[in-house]
Amino acid sequence: MIRMRRVTKIYKGNVYALEDVTLDIEKGEFVFLVGPSGSGKTTFIKLLIKEEEPTSGQIYIADTNINQLRKWKVPYLRRKIGCVFQDFKLLPHKTVFQNVAYAMEVTGKSRRLIEQQVPEVLKLVGLGHKLDAFPDELSGGEQQRVAIARAFINRPPILLADEPTGNVDPSLGEGIVRLLEKINSTGTTVIVATHDKNIVDAFRKRVIALENGRIIRDQDRGVYGYE
Amino acid sequence: MNRVKYFAAETWASLRKNIILAVAAIAVVAVSLGILGLVVMGWNMFTNMIKNAERKVGEVDLYLTDLTTTEELKAIEAFLASIPEVDAATIYFKSKDEALQEFKERFKDQPELWEYIDENPLPNSYELMTKDPKDVGVVVNRIKNDAPHPERIEDIKSASSAIEKLENIFDKFRQIGIVAVVALAVIAILLVSVTIQVAIFARRREIGIMKLVGATNWFIRWPFVIEGVFEGTVGSLVAILVVLSVKVWILDRLVESLQFLRLSFSAGLLAVLVPCILLGGVVIGALGSAYALGRFLEV
Ligand SMILES: Nc1ncnc2c1ncn2[C@@H]1O[C@H](COP(=O)(O)OP(=O)(O)OP(=O)(O)O)[C@@H](O)[C@H]1O
Ligand SMILES: [Mg+2]
Repeated sequence: MIRMRRVTKIYKGNVYALEDVTLDIEKGEFVFLVGPSGSGKTTFIKLLIKEEEPTSGQIYIADTNINQLRKWKVPYLRRKIGCVFQDFKLLPHKTVFQNVAYAMEVTGKSRRLIEQQVPEVLKLVGLGHKLDAFPDELSGGEQQRVAIARAFINRPPILLADEPTGNVDPSLGEGIVRLLEKINSTGTTVIVATHDKNIVDAFRKRVIALENGRIIRDQDRGVYGYE
Repeated sequence: MNRVKYFAAETWASLRKNIILAVAAIAVVAVSLGILGLVVMGWNMFTNMIKNAERKVGEVDLYLTDLTTTEELKAIEAFLASIPEVDAATIYFKSKDEALQEFKERFKDQPELWEYIDENPLPNSYELMTKDPKDVGVVVNRIKNDAPHPERIEDIKSASSAIEKLENIFDKFRQIGIVAVVALAVIAILLVSVTIQVAIFARRREIGIMKLVGATNWFIRWPFVIEGVFEGTVGSLVAILVVLSVKVWILDRLVESLQFLRLSFSAGLLAVLVPCILLGGVVIGALGSAYALGRFLEV
């Protein structure tokens, strides 16, 4: 599903965010991407949705080399990848309902389908009662769950989540990962970037550990492993 | 349908946010198209006046005595056609009868002028146009000096110099009008584009997010295009309102009260002018937003 070959990302100022990363993630896998702050997790995700371009190396998604993807095709790539951003990226002037509905609107879904599915999914993430709230009226954890709802409202084959438990208390964090696990069990490939040791240790999934932009460990049924 | 509603809502929200700029843009669109409308109406009125005038600019009329024979007519016509400054295709022989018909037609409201005529007092005549209106004097002189059978030529008349001067003045007016309309249209396009740029700038974060959740470039662009076209259209509607009021309240009354000038509007002028102004507004709006999108929305 996802293949990276010798991928390096150097930001300006000669910052090596990712260095010589090669890996394969199969369809239907559940992967924790772990590493300390600044190790390159968010960069990894940005490269997959073409928010950033790799400095060198090749990235394939579903056998398409996304480096060579035509510009006009990028939106269609992004519709296949649901993404929960570390900073949520909610639209401030739209309500919770509208924020999630937006991801369906851009793909041209019918109003009827939107009216039906958006409240359903928001109920699933425990926000059924906040449809008409604006993002700045929500707590960090609530905003995070709106972001999750938006990321998988279109049932994408790949779901990327950048620190999806970063702003919630541990019990809720576990609930969120369980939700992602459930989404994964329907065949969606899920990648969760996190430095939440408890969660990683509790779920025992494949763990890819980054440090200073390099993969230092890739382990099935792994643990967090940093102190 | 869903999309139309979505775009309409986005456009409306954006317009309301920078209402002052939007109103300014609409006003300039209205002024430029309003001036266009007034220039076109004035132009039309004036060309009709010239067309209705007794003699056109560049026209020379040659009146003949009733004694002129057919051979003499032929000789005179051949001579007229041989003058290099004359546009030979325009040489026209107007008979006494035709002249009388025309007279009756023109004064059909004052039948007392012709009702009691029993013998046609009007002469046969030749009408011709010079190739260039400024050669009227040359042609008149040539006819006076060189025409065969000069005793048969009763009179030579050409368009009054007043009309000629008026036409020159109006030509200037028209040129200035066109320059003003073009300049204002350019300003209107730039102003529409500024409002769109401000709208884009105010929503740049949102636009970034929209792209990340898979919105295509056109899905992002449409609300801005609609916003520009909306401003252009509203501006053109205001212009149409102004043009129609000026026509009804001022120009129509002028035509009425200055009948001797034979001012008039061509039939169907408004049927062409109004859609053109509307189209102009749409084009100005579309160009304005296209310019803003091209420069400030790298997608
Ligand atoms: N746009 C940028 N320009 C320059 N340097 C950047 C940029 N984005 C990230 N970096 C740098 O790249 C490195 C990796 O950043 P990245 O955001 O991928 O880390 P991370 O693992 O997501 O960290 P965190 O856990 O704090 O979110 C860091 O050193 C960071 O300072
Ligand atoms: Mg990060």
